[in-house]
Amino acid sequence: MADESAFDKKKAHRAKRAGRKADKKKKKNQTDTSNLSARQRNPKAFAIQSAVRAERQFRRREDVIAKKQHVPQVDKTPLEPPPIIVAVVGPPRVGKTTLINNLIKSFIKTNVTSTNGPITIVTSKKRRITLIECNNDINSMIDIAKCADLVLLLCDASFGFEMEIFEFLNICQVHGMPKIMGVLTHLDMIKNAKTLKMTKKTLKHRFWTEVYQGAKLFYLSGIVHGEYLRNEIKNLSRFISVMKFRPLSWRMTHSYVLADRMEDATSQETIRKDPKVNRDVILYGYVRGVPLMKETMVHIAGVGDMKVSELSYLPDPCPLPSSEKKRHLMERERQIYAPFSGVGGIVYDKDAVYIELKGSHSHKQEDEETNEKKALLKNVVETTETIDEQMQESGFKLFSGGAVIYPDMLKNDEYLQQNKNNQPESSDNSDSEEEGSDSDHDSGIDQSEKEAAKSDKMPWDNDSGDEGDNNQSSGEEDNQPESENEESDNEQNFDNKWKEKLSEKATEAYFERQKTSRNIMKLVYGEFEIGNKTKEQKQDDDDESDDEEIGGLFKKVTATQKKKLKDKERLDLDECSFFYSLEKPNIRDWTAEANKQYLINSFVTGKRSADEDASELLKLDDASDGDDEELYGDFEDLETGEKHSAEDKDETEEAETVETGTKRKAEPTKSEILDKKMKLKAKFDAEYDNPDDHRIKGDHSYYENLKAEALKQSELNKSVFENLDEGLRIEVEGFRPGLYVRMLFKNIPSEFVTNFDSTYPILIGSLNMAEQNIGFVSCKVKKHRWYKKILKTNDPLIISLGWRRFQTLPIYSKIEDDLKCRYLKYTPEHVTCNMHFYGPVTPQNTGFLALQTVNNNPNEIKQLGFRIAATGSVNEINKSTQIVKKLKLVGTPLKIYKKTAFIKDMFTSTLEVAKFEGARIKTVSGIRGQIKKALNKPEGAFRATFEDKILMSDIIFCRTWFKVDVTKFYAPVVNLLLPAGSKNAWQGMKTKGQLKRERNIKSDANTDSMYTDIKREPKVFKPLVIPKELQKGLPYRFKPKQKSTTLSGNNPKDKLKNRIAVVKNPHEQKVSNVMKMIKTNFEKKKEIQKEATQERLKTHKKQLEAEEWKRLKRQKELKKKICRTLSKMGKKKPQM
Amino acid sequence: MPAVVENDVLVYKGSNFFRQRLLLATLSGRAVKIDEIRSTHDDPGLREYEVNLIRLLDKVTNGTRVELSETGTSVYFQPGILIGGHVTHSCCPQRGIGYYLEVLLALGPFCKEPLNAVLQGVTHSDLDVSVDKIKAAALPILLKFILVDDGLELKVVRRGAPPLGGGEVVFKCPVRRHLRPLQWTKWGLVKRIRGVVYALRVSPTMANRVVDSAKGVMLKFLPDVYINTDQCRGSNAGKSPGYGVSLVAETNEKTFYCAEAKSSEPGSGETSLPEDIGRECAQRLLDEVYRGGAVDSSFQWLLALWMALGQKDVSECIVGPLSDYTITFLQHLKEFFGVMFKLEVQRSDADEELDDEEEVTAANKIKMTCVGIGYVNISKRTL
Repeated sequence: MADESAFDKKKAHRAKRAGRKADKKKKKNQTDTSNLSARQRNPKAFAIQSAVRAERQFRRREDVIAKKQHVPQVDKTPLEPPPIIVAVVGPPRVGKTTLINNLIKSFIKTNVTSTNGPITIVTSKKRRITLIECNNDINSMIDIAKCADLVLLLCDASFGFEMEIFEFLNICQVHGMPKIMGVLTHLDMIKNAKTLKMTKKTLKHRFWTEVYQGAKLFYLSGIVHGEYLRNEIKNLSRFISVMKFRPLSWRMTHSYVLADRMEDATSQETIRKDPKVNRDVILYGYVRGVPLMKETMVHIAGVGDMKVSELSYLPDPCPLPSSEKKRHLMERERQIYAPFSGVGGIVYDKDAVYIELKGSHSHKQEDEETNEKKALLKNVVETTETIDEQMQESGFKLFSGGAVIYPDMLKNDEYLQQNKNNQPESSDNSDSEEEGSDSDHDSGIDQSEKEAAKSDKMPWDNDSGDEGDNNQSSGEEDNQPESENEESDNEQNFDNKWKEKLSEKATEAYFERQKTSRNIMKLVYGEFEIGNKTKEQKQDDDDESDDEEIGGLFKKVTATQKKKLKDKERLDLDECSFFYSLEKPNIRDWTAEANKQYLINSFVTGKRSADEDASELLKLDDASDGDDEELYGDFEDLETGEKHSAEDKDETEEAETVETGTKRKAEPTKSEILDKKMKLKAKFDAEYDNPDDHRIKGDHSYYENLKAEALKQSELNKSVFENLDEGLRIEVEGFRPGLYVRMLFKNIPSEFVTNFDSTYPILIGSLNMAEQNIGFVSCKVKKHRWYKKILKTNDPLIISLGWRRFQTLPIYSKIEDDLKCRYLKYTPEHVTCNMHFYGPVTPQNTGFLALQTVNNNPNEIKQLGFRIAATGSVNEINKSTQIVKKLKLVGTPLKIYKKTAFIKDMFTSTLEVAKFEGARIKTVSGIRGQIKKALNKPEGAFRATFEDKILMSDIIFCRTWFKVDVTKFYAPVVNLLLPAGSKNAWQGMKTKGQLKRERNIKSDANTDSMYTDIKREPKVFKPLVIPKELQKGLPYRFKPKQKSTTLSGNNPKDKLKNRIAVVKNPHEQKVSNVMKMIKTNFEKKKEIQKEATQERLKTHKKQLEAEEWKRLKRQKELKKKICRTLSKMGKKKPQM
Repeated sequence: MPAVVENDVLVYKGSNFFRQRLLLATLSGRAVKIDEIRSTHDDPGLREYEVNLIRLLDKVTNGTRVELSETGTSVYFQPGILIGGHVTHSCCPQRGIGYYLEVLLALGPFCKEPLNAVLQGVTHSDLDVSVDKIKAAALPILLKFILVDDGLELKVVRRGAPPLGGGEVVFKCPVRRHLRPLQWTKWGLVKRIRGVVYALRVSPTMANRVVDSAKGVMLKFLPDVYINTDQCRGSNAGKSPGYGVSLVAETNEKTFYCAEAKSSEPGSGETSLPEDIGRECAQRLLDEVYRGGAVDSSFQWLLALWMALGQKDVSECIVGPLSDYTITFLQHLKEFFGVMFKLEVQRSDADEELDDEEEVTAANKIKMTCVGIGYVNISKRTL
């Protein structure tokens, strides 16, 4: 069979190996290997060899990926970011100022004479930096750490790291680590090359352990002509300009401003009258962090909490270059702005222009010595201001006794002169009925009227398309109920009519509302001022216009009255959140066919819009698939023999378009469909054609989704207000970071201005909701391991938390297992504990640091060494605290029954006992019991029951917990108000120890804790008494031989006493005498015999000794003899 | 009426929007003073239900200080810290439980402990949203902001009709550190209609008659209509007789519209037919559907509140025409939090086409956009 099959086998096909066909095939099969990866060329080499190893590799890879992942955060950097704050920090005399000067020179090629305060410069096309030097004060270090983006940490290499540097690093860690670059200076002081190398290395490694492994440390090798080497500075500046930053959580939730300009806006007259009067101060700076809301509370570090009474933005004094397509910065675009240092050219303010006179001009307005020239200059500047002001001030009356009209009322300088059209609602709230606009000026001046007509729209009018229509409709809407009101007002039977019309009116109003409400912003926020006007002003204006009767202008009066009436009507209504609140309108009958037609499409059963309808979508798909077929136009259905022509198709298409016309959205065009398809294809390709896809990949979709969401949100944040009117945008969004703002503060203590020192940073941090309140803060805290002392409860402590620095009295506690906070008198040495203090409400997880003093007294610093006493973070905020201290109440038994006992001395009154009824008590020996009820006498005694009978000698405890209150003490550190020399010497509350030391008070020793000799009485044990029953069973020898009835009758002396005297008769006396004599004789005899024996023994011993001696002698001689003979024999032998 | 600010205390006039003001004061931590409360009325001063509200706020907070003037026409309210936890409160029967429950709902996510409140009183009232409506329409809104439902629950234990009440609900709410920003611009189409008819101390036929008439209207629009009847007896039926219905329309984008109607109070002298009640409720629901938007019109203010209290990100939602209550609420939000919404009227093209043909026009949709103020729950404890 096998053979047969083999025989039957046909001849196999043999492919051509040469010729045209073979070439063709070869060409076809030949793949281009040059483009292929190694994996594709040789797939076998990459195949999985061992499943276990592959699994391990996979897991490791996933671990590495997972370690890199962070929770995606919404990127909040604005399109035009604020300048980056580069702080130069270091101990005194390391070359901070020199470095700043050199950096400025390298960036903008100018020399700056003095470097006071922040200096903003443009460094590249997209980056500005603000350089600020930190002086040697721990207050400034803290404030700088809170706002700096990049810190250049200067260190004198010849000296090594100083304590300030470590302090600063710790401050940074607590308040959110900015980027830190170390800079070593004074390297030229080390002459020896080898020591230089070693120093560099040790310092680098020390720096790494503090910051992170591989942190950048710069070496500035030396000073030539008072400047660092140019290429080193160039390198440093390059590093600065490419530095990237990570968002810090505190700064991503709070906005802040580092003020770079200060002005005193108080009128000179009031200052002249009272130099101590509270000042109005204007501070300027870039908004950073998140958008700054308009009416917000801020904290000025070193001054206190303030309300910004006016906030507006100014044109950027140091703008980024316009986006021209050039690679480098133009010379004129390299700008510098540093008002405190006296550079920066011309500055435009809201109402004035300032010209900075380089170097010679100081911004301190209250100089002690004002020479004549300065006064003259000042005068000139002031007069230019006052011309404007005079214009502003000059009002005029239209009618005698009428209102004075100021230009202010007409032309409001909004934020800037350029956007004049953003006008807030005019001061005289006139609701004119004839014209649609609400804000109309009844000024009576032609010119101004024209102006008004031009600039009469609110900021939000811009975005709603057709204004005229808008105003018309909104006006109508407003008027409808009002006119009704008016009528009813005129009529006397006010109530009846009004109520009759109520539902009708409501219905109308309801439909109106549904129909119109185009200018919805005005409807909602119409009553608020938009712009720079403050509320008070407006209120005043309102009052004015209400009070005064302006002759002839009746409209105004009626309007305001009407408004008042309307308000009054609403004032005391019942609150109701329904759409038609109290009055019920007649709702449209939705079942009526006409109405139903509209509503039917709101249900899933109705028609859908084109992009949702399934059938439509299918049709679209078909249409797009049919693209190719359309080339042919017509085709024949073979089965039915029907012929379809192109015309036919067109017809149907037409029909379709007619049909879809009624639908909500027109059919997408072919190109759109094509686009969509291409996109889908690209997506598919990306998923499947990835050449690197052969590896097994983990599923990161969750993370990817989160990231995509954050990205989407940040894009939305950036784009949503992009084309909104600037004024409205600020109202809605707040002053976004990067804007240069002007903040007016009222009632700042005059010391802020008089003691102003520009080397101290002025940090203005905004407070979020509820952060201006004060409550009890509980946090976890750990004493810093470098701080030498431990901290004591209720010793004042200076805490830097959030934007603030303040002194408070903390209480330390420990959380027990039952979540009770137990009071601790001191902080434990190496573990965290809880701390409670009375202070500002701050969000949870905010870090803080504690200092015992901010005084810069060198003696004190030397004594302390490291100043940061503790660090920690906030746990919880509350309005009360629950800290308890253990308290043991001690009492003694008064009388004991079986298991009941009366206890005294534990309480002092019946009332106290009543409070503790049912409380658990315990004796020292551990017998537990309960307090039952108070006794009448003695006061404070009570009845208690125990689980066993107690003894009179027992001491009874009641363990209770005593609540400890946190002292309500909170004092902000106001170092900026201190006089110039002593700004670093803020002194708050002193500790008890400090006071005692200062006043030399010695505390008396407690006599109880004094040492006294202990006298111990010898212990007397009670005699052993064996019960009778037991005695019976004992063997005789154990039985007590002397019977005594009382316990104390066993005294041997007593026994003697009790003996009866024996009286002998003469015979017996004789006998006993004889017996005595015999006994004496016998004893004498025994004595003599004993002596004789001793004598005998002695002689015998001697005898024995003599014999022994003889024997020994004999033996000796014998031995001699033997030896002699032996030696003789030995001598003979050699002879033989 | 904008508030006057005196040393950081907001001063208002009149008793209207009392609840809004106290609620926002509690959330913002700002003190508020309300003057001239019904000062011109025959019965001046605070009503019982308002005092009751203050009591409730005192229960869920720690450190609240309230000062009432002698006449009761002026209140000074200094809020404390939100505590939450277990709260039992008997609400004043002058207003429904909804009056109080809405406040708790707004405060709930920002408490220290998860809120577990037992409220007793009138569950269905004319002036306030009923507990059914809150359950059906308001809880899903909160769910959008907190995303994960761990323990958000509203249970109607007993129903109680006015005037005597006797109902009880249990409300549980989880706490959050912050709310997430929300973009909610699509609300979809109504896919199903559900409803509950309750009958307390009245004949069960009433309920069935209401179901019939309500269903009759709704079936003209959608086949998927189910209405349950809840015939309560004994202590579960509360203390007063009454019946009513609430209908819920659910869309395919998880928007819930809810409408309700109830019988008139026993003492009022009016009689209400069950058929009328059913029809009225159905009409109201259709009206709500017509208005559209992402949320029910009664809860626009809640949406606005939670949008404003979000993180410092943009939230945008589209709602139906703003109610008066919402408008006032937005004004109050501006005063308390300084947050301003960008409001735009949305009009689709198709609507304009239809405008010419039909007399019925589309309800205006309003797009509310705002940047959250970055509100964080400061009372929550971290370990």
